[in-house]
This record gives sequence, structure tokens and C-alpha cells, in this order.
Amino acid sequence: MRRRFTLPALTVAATAAALTVGVSPASAHGYISSPPSRQANCASGAVANCGDIVYEPQSVEAAKGSKQCNGGGSRFAVLNDNSRNWPAASVGQNVTFNWVLTARHSTSTWEYFIGNTQLASFNDGGAQPGATKSHAVNMRGFSGRQTVLARWNVADTAMAFYACVDLNIGGGTTPPTTPPPTTPPTTPPTTTPPPTTQPPAGGTWRAGAAYQPGNVVTYNGRSYTCRQAHTALAGWEPPNVPALWAAS
Amino acid sequence: MGRKLTAVALAVVLASGCGSPPEATAPPYNATDVMFLQMGLAQIDEGDQVAGLAEQRAADPRLRTLATELRAQWREESATMERSLRDWRQPLAADPSAGAHAGHGDVHSLRPSDIGELRAATGRTFDRTAVTLLLGHLGNCVETARMEVSGGAHPPARTLGANVTSRRQSQIQSLLKLAAEP
Repeated sequence: MRRRFTLPALTVAATAAALTVGVSPASAHGYISSPPSRQANCASGAVANCGDIVYEPQSVEAAKGSKQCNGGGSRFAVLNDNSRNWPAASVGQNVTFNWVLTARHSTSTWEYFIGNTQLASFNDGGAQPGATKSHAVNMRGFSGRQTVLARWNVADTAMAFYACVDLNIGGGTTPPTTPPPTTPPTTPPTTTPPPTTQPPAGGTWRAGAAYQPGNVVTYNGRSYTCRQAHTALAGWEPPNVPALWAAS
Repeated sequence: MGRKLTAVALAVVLASGCGSPPEATAPPYNATDVMFLQMGLAQIDEGDQVAGLAEQRAADPRLRTLATELRAQWREESATMERSLRDWRQPLAADPSAGAHAGHGDVHSLRPSDIGELRAATGRTFDRTAVTLLLGHLGNCVETARMEVSGGAHPPARTLGANVTSRRQSQIQSLLKLAAEP
């Protein structure tokens, strides 16, 4: 009797340990709250039908070096969709960007771009951010409707957090007459995959999916085998959670 | 700051190892339920320090009102969380010696220095700091609650997770609107 109880107890303990290890990086993120980034506009309800990003505007994490609003990751493609009519905040030539951080990673740099032009880069030299993080950035003569891409480069991982901020630069308060539909929406608007539980056998790792022991996924070009049944959360990426995933 | 968000593992082992287990019946909860409740209590403790200051000192009456509402909800939620953990004979805080957060430091928590910065801020800076800290912290609360909804086993705890998610989401929406004002 006593014996019989031991095994489930240990199993629970193992699961708890795995989940606890996994949950730490899950909270490890940030985004720009003002002027509102695209993910902030989704989370605030200013833009509707954004999918899962409304629950985790802080989770736009992907490998460093991308110029895409979602960082080129597998999630949150809605952020790249310029046909969404993102509200543009009216600003002058000097703009202060304010970040919300749900975890204070040691940071290498914060970078700001319009297109291929780097507007500014702030080097934190590996320091952890304080309670707030703001940057004053000069728009370098850009005017009208522009999209600023911000990248938060974490010092001790290969990852960055991405935020795009739509601005109407010029100091005026008149909104742009029409958002420039430079490219017609080539792809049909992304229908976000349902946050389901079907085991995506052999696909790319994805938050929201339920995995069973033995499932094999790829993440950042490496493949991993699931060690314990779980439903993946952002931050539980295979390399972050050895208790859940074994590198193949 | 008392409670730390740390491992449940040891606690579960200890709690299950002693006492007289009922006949081979699995408990009506799982490790995710326990973790959600323990982390939830710790997050409320931390967040209440910010909300308490905001309730007293914010210049914007909308922020004071939001802080009051948040604190009232937190009191109610923490009572429910404590009750479940006591019913299950689980500790209210995870055992820090299990070391699950070793190496992570406190990057996911509100640090004493964050509260200190808020305390030292005045005027518009105070409001902006409070809004920023609350947005980050409530974002973490939503992540914990969604973990429960997707991985918990105890139906009332899952319902609590869903309620916490929608309440915090609504507060995040209000805070984002405040943050977006020039």
C-alpha cells in the first residue's frame, strides 16, 4: 500500500520539477507599450482578431537579426501583415519608446530601424534593465507614416525580442488620410491555428501544442524528442527545458 | 516578497509521503494545479506592493481606481488559493531549496529595487513607472493562469485560472490605454 503510493508520488514530483523548470523562461519577455507597438495594439483591443498574441504581447521572441515584425519566428505572423490598418501614433522627430518587461534579461543592445536605416542602438553591456526602460530616438528626417522595428538583443542567449511601432512622423496631429497599401495582401490573412491539442508529429515546435513522450520536433534547426507529456508554452522551447526535451 | 516562485517537487513528495494515503485513488489535482496556486499567491504578494503604492499615490484617478479593483480581486483570489492548498495539505509557498530557479535569478519577479524605484518616483514618472510595472507583472500573472487552464486537473482551479486570465487581461487593456496616452 505504502509502496504502491510511492510511484505516483514520484511521478508527480518529476512532472512538477519539469514544469517548474519550464515555467521560468516562460515569463521572460518584453514589448513596447508606448507609442503602442503592434502587439500592444492587439493586446489592448485597438486591433481585433490578432490571435494568441493578445495573451502574450511580451512573447515575440526569435533568433537575432530579423527585420520582420514577428522576428521571423513561426508564431504571430499577424504582426507582419501591413494590411491590418495598424493605428499610427502621431509623433515629432524625437520619440521616446517605453518598454514593458516581464523579465529582466541581461541585455546586449536595443536597436531601432526604419527599413534598412538604423536610427539608434543602445549598448547595455550585459546589464539587467531596471524597473522601466525608455529610449529617446531621433527619426533622422523620416516623415509621414513609418514603421519602426525595435529589437531587444538578449546578452546571454541567441534570441531577441521584436516590436514594430507604427508612427505618423511630423508633429502634426492629423492622421494619415489612408495607410499606404503598398503591397496588396498577397497571402490571405492568416487564420491563426487553433490552440489545439493534436500532437504535431514531427513538425516544428510550437507553443500551445500537446506533446507526448517520443514526439520529435525541430526547433532552430535541431531536432528534439519529447521526454514527458506536456502542453507547450512560450518559453518552454526545447533548448530551454531539458526536462521536457532531449536533443536528438 | 516572502514567497518565492520555486519548485513544488519536494513539497509534493513530502506531502504525499506522509499521512495515510487513501486507497490508491489519485489526488483530484496535479502538480500544475499546485504550482499555479503557489505561484499565484507569490505573484499577488509581489504585485500588491505596486498596486498598494499606486492606489495611494497615483496622480491619475483611473490608475488609482484600477489599483483598488485589482487589490480587491487579489484578496478574494488569494483566499481561494490558500483554501485549496490547505485542503490538499500543500505548502502555501514552494520550497526554495529545491532550486528549480537556480541560475535564473529573480528576472521574472518584481525585485526590491523595482519597488524602490517606484517609491522614489514622483509625479508623472510615478504613474508611468506604476503602469509599466503593473503591465509586466500582470503579463506574468496571465502566463501562470493560462498554464493552469491548459495543464491543470482540478476543475475549480482551472476555472480560477480562466477567471484570473480574463480579469488580468481586462486590466492590461486599461493599462495599455493609459500607457498609450501622450
